[in-house]
Amino acid sequence: MITSFLADQALLEDIVRILFVFVLITAAFILSTRNIASLLTVYAVQSFLLTLIAASLYLIEGSEKLLAMAALTLVSKVLLIPLFINVIGEKIKISRDLEFNYLEPTASLLVSMGLIMLSYVFLSGFFDEYVLGKLFFVGAVIGLSLTLMGMLVIFSRKKVMTKVIGYLTMENGVLLFGIFVADLPFVIEILIVIDLMILVLLTTILAIGLDSTKNEYHKRLQTLKIWSGREE
Amino acid sequence: MNASFLLFTLLNTGFILLVSPFFMSLIKKVKAYVQGRKGPKLLQSYFDLRKLMQKEVVYSPNSSIIMRITPYLNLGALLLATLFVPVVFIPNAPAGIGNVIVFLYLLVIERFFTSLSGLDSGSAFGGMGSSRLMSLSAVIEPTMIIAFAALAYVLKTVNFHEMFAITAGSTIPESPTLSLISISLFIIIIVETGRIPVDNPATHLELTMINEAMILEQSGKNLALIELAHAIKQTILMAILINTLAPFGLATELTFTGIVISCFYFLVKASLLAGLIGLFESSIAKMRLFRLPGFYMMAFFFSALTILMEVFI
Repeated sequence: MITSFLADQALLEDIVRILFVFVLITAAFILSTRNIASLLTVYAVQSFLLTLIAASLYLIEGSEKLLAMAALTLVSKVLLIPLFINVIGEKIKISRDLEFNYLEPTASLLVSMGLIMLSYVFLSGFFDEYVLGKLFFVGAVIGLSLTLMGMLVIFSRKKVMTKVIGYLTMENGVLLFGIFVADLPFVIEILIVIDLMILVLLTTILAIGLDSTKNEYHKRLQTLKIWSGREE
Repeated sequence: MNASFLLFTLLNTGFILLVSPFFMSLIKKVKAYVQGRKGPKLLQSYFDLRKLMQKEVVYSPNSSIIMRITPYLNLGALLLATLFVPVVFIPNAPAGIGNVIVFLYLLVIERFFTSLSGLDSGSAFGGMGSSRLMSLSAVIEPTMIIAFAALAYVLKTVNFHEMFAITAGSTIPESPTLSLISISLFIIIIVETGRIPVDNPATHLELTMINEAMILEQSGKNLALIELAHAIKQTILMAILINTLAPFGLATELTFTGIVISCFYFLVKASLLAGLIGLFESSIAKMRLFRLPGFYMMAFFFSALTILMEVFI
């Protein structure tokens, strides 16, 4: 029963299609959620959806690389990165990001609808959806729109923590685009993930002291117990 | 008009009229259980309606004929709307009955006259509720249209009867997109019946009121009719969701056993859905009024995405 379920191509494609909608919904939540903890949960859910998409695509295509990519995403983006940001977030005691630049959530949702349409129009100039396969074409469109929505998050939210999550969303979009259109070597995927982790580490630590001088920065790191090194 | 449709008119409308107050009490009961209270009896809504029916009607001296005709218009519009959503069996209906667009307009008639009567009473609360409802309607109306358009696009018809004739008999939804549309339909139920997080049906607080504010000046028999219309609206919207997502059991032809089975299944499924609504209401906090457009926008985004997906692939 399960094997016949897994072999059903049409059903798998339908599942991927539903997952696409949910991915965009998580992006919409990242645009409008004010609580940092729920933002992180939404990001973890989004990464988990990408894992599921990669896994279902593996069942459709049978390429081992997709399975490895799913595993990599699961470990790094569903577990490690949210955990890390959570720890930092608790230390610097930011629990909410209430302010918005230029665009209120309602307006940014409307803008992102426009972005989705725009990426559809833009990509249909490059790819022939019938040559590429409809599912793959839509995957590319969703990937590009997710990247743009991540950019919108960076643009419209105020706190650095949220901006980091916006950046991570952009990266998720690139990953989705990569899965469906560009065939990146697996080594590069791993490198991207490592870069991502270091970037998250640096930005979140730097974010604590962006507005301070060097001496004050040391003090802040010590009071927040992030780094206990001695001052020279 | 054929005989089977005449029978449908009596049975379907009668059945919905009969069971609607039950679901109102059921939701209250579920909410009470979650909060650790015992809650009202399951038949409490019927007792309330009977009590209100026996009371005299008091009109504000400022009020005009609008206040007097609103309860009858509301109930009339919704009773007509019950013909559009088959729950006992799918009849061979005359043209126009079952049309999605007409259905939407029937719901709008109810909303329009409720807000007019809110203004008509001349009290500050009524006007406030009407103004709130109208501004929020500007956002939820497109969402409803998009959700029903998505439904029509997936099932390739604008007639509810034909839609449910397609879905009936299958155990799972015809297309996976339908399960996505169901989420939008669920949000529409929550919004249209004024439940948490949009409005709190259990209080009369100035800050939270939308629906309650408009009917604050209604009394006696008129209030009973308005409450009944509200309950019917909830049942119809629930029936649309049920027939889309879990359509099994709905009879497509007129037979006695078919009708009994349909009614039975509908009662079970709608009770489950009512329980779900109660749980949903208990698990979420009331939103601030100015955050509501964001919530509606989310539903709009969701339905628009659904329709985009269906068009693209």
